[in-house]
Amino acid sequence: MESCVSLTNLNKWFGSFQVLDSINLSISIGEKVVICGPSGSGKSTLIRCVNALEPFQSGSVNVCGISVEKNGRNATDIQRRVGMVFQQFNLFPHLSVLKNCTLAPCRVLGLSDDEAESKAMHYLERVRIPEQASKYPADLSGGQQQRVAIARALTMEPELMLFDEPTSALDPEVVTEVLDTMVDLAETGMTMICVTHEMGFAKQVADRVVFMDEGKIIEIATPEKFFSEPTHERTKFFLSRVLG
Amino acid sequence: MIESLSTLIGPFHIKMLAVLLNATQWTVYLSLTAFIGGGLIGLIFTLLRITPINWIRKLAVAYIWTFQSVPLLMLLFLTGLGIPIFYQINVPPWVAATISLTLFTSAYMSEVWRGALQSINIGQWEAGRALGLGFVNNLRYVIAPQALKIATPPTVGFMVQVIKGTSLAYIIDFNDLMRWGKKIGNSQIDGAEPFIVFPLVALIYFLLCFPLTLLSRRLEQSLNVDSKKIMLTINKGG
Amino acid sequence: MFDLRFYEIWREQVFVEKLINGIGTSVSLMILGGIIGFIFGLALATARGSKIGLLRIPSAAFIESIRNTPLIVQLFFVCFGLPMIFEYRWPFFASALLALCLNFSAYYAEIIRAGFENVEYGQSEAARALGLGKNDILAYIVLPQALAKVYPSLVSQFVFLFLTTGIISEVGVEDLTWAGRYIADRNFRDFEVFIVLTIAYALLSVIFRGVLTATGQLVFPWNREK
Repeated sequence: MESCVSLTNLNKWFGSFQVLDSINLSISIGEKVVICGPSGSGKSTLIRCVNALEPFQSGSVNVCGISVEKNGRNATDIQRRVGMVFQQFNLFPHLSVLKNCTLAPCRVLGLSDDEAESKAMHYLERVRIPEQASKYPADLSGGQQQRVAIARALTMEPELMLFDEPTSALDPEVVTEVLDTMVDLAETGMTMICVTHEMGFAKQVADRVVFMDEGKIIEIATPEKFFSEPTHERTKFFLSRVLG
Repeated sequence: MIESLSTLIGPFHIKMLAVLLNATQWTVYLSLTAFIGGGLIGLIFTLLRITPINWIRKLAVAYIWTFQSVPLLMLLFLTGLGIPIFYQINVPPWVAATISLTLFTSAYMSEVWRGALQSINIGQWEAGRALGLGFVNNLRYVIAPQALKIATPPTVGFMVQVIKGTSLAYIIDFNDLMRWGKKIGNSQIDGAEPFIVFPLVALIYFLLCFPLTLLSRRLEQSLNVDSKKIMLTINKGG
Repeated sequence: MFDLRFYEIWREQVFVEKLINGIGTSVSLMILGGIIGFIFGLALATARGSKIGLLRIPSAAFIESIRNTPLIVQLFFVCFGLPMIFEYRWPFFASALLALCLNFSAYYAEIIRAGFENVEYGQSEAARALGLGKNDILAYIVLPQALAKVYPSLVSQFVFLFLTTGIISEVGVEDLTWAGRYIADRNFRDFEVFIVLTIAYALLSVIFRGVLTATGQLVFPWNREK
């Protein structure tokens, strides 16, 4: 299958501290990959290198056929094709829900207001909160805000969606509604990379699970194999802690 | 213009500089007096502002609001011209200037410190009370030390405002840097044109104020506190 | 002891006229100075935070020079010094306006810059992740939020600066303070006149604050205090 994201020998340092160590990973179009691991393992940094939010020092990152430049010079080219959902939602508080979704399509893709609005409403319906379109983020619950964040990213009609611990900041009651939205998205064939602790989601949706620790990829396997017969000691230790 | 620039390092300008610097001492004395006096009075009003007794608190609020809403210039006029004329008494300029600046400073300092006190997490108060400390002891041993840290950068910063405020005192004949600067600058003497004298006067004020500005910033960093957040708290009337 | 004679002020029609004109001048100078000073302050704040040294250093120098010197010195220099250097003559109102704009801009610039720095980093990250360019991020995401956050400070600074503008009477502007001195020179009731001026300035500052705060609610409707 065609490659959507290709990381070759990716290395990143913060000063003298190595955050990513010889990362090699290739993700095909339509594939769903879940990345898990303990805090500080570099998972978030990894996906931020994919959409050029973070620069890196050595190796190569290829996204949607474009090679990401180390110093971030072609960052905008990447970012308009890749959508990202953040742990803290990062909705724009001074814009309505609808405006949150239409701002980038208008300014970046050059859509007219009407085109952008109809696209935005389409995706707001997909995440099942079209009636909140004229509200402000402060009026919504956490779960609703995160779904708006997903709709906002989708309105750009990206080729790839990145999720950085999308449910970690949510109250337990609303985690399900967001995960359901992500499952729906997966079923449409979207290529997804998710950093998450939600192992149930991984089992249900992932094609492959990646385990990272201390900046390195320790193990990559299908969910069946990953959860039942992990190979490495560190993986087993992590799983025993997380799954309890 | 070229001629006056060429006499820039002449004996005339040395003399002028000496006059200005000599006058500057009065600026400094006034600033220090107002700052210390205003600081002490301000501290009293900070405490009055937070007492549980209603009428005292309202009086304190009224005082603070008054001296924050009255232009410093008006205070100077009232004490330096108004009262002398009305009551037929002689008020020396330095007395009027000192009173005006002290009252002015007290109101603003009071608010800075109130902001510092209020910016301390209510959890600190509660912890103190849970340990059995009364209001006074709580304030003295738990809250005040922390408030002091937070209040120091903006207090130092306000000193700059005080120094700048003294520049208005010339209007009631206070013989400080500004008065002499104006006398020399508006005189028709060659070599003492406004575009030479006033930048010089500005430079002297700058040399008085800028070190304090820098100190305030350094304190802000080393005390690891964001005084802008305090000003936001104060300005919200919080 | 309290032989106050306020009627000595209202008695003469010319006195009342001067007072009203003075209020008009003070207020209009303040509004103009506030708006132009704000725009210039915005530019200064952007330059001050820029990575380009050629923008950052002069703007920082300008801001520090203004903030660490008294307004009166700046007024005298702009109104008497500059015309001599560049050999022009402006009306007093214009020179004073220039000096006020320059003065206000430096104070606003620092407040606005604090606003920029206090916008959550996640906001610009999310904007970048959507593909928005630097200019769009500044204009649509950072600026509105920065201004909303520091608006109360800007209002307070405006009112504070208003109370310092009485001194423009010294450079020939016929403002409220000038009107007061005109009257006092003629009826010798300095005390009463200055009390009236004081009340007028206090009242005007309350009105300014009220109007500006209400405007803030209109411009930044999402900023409701919870």
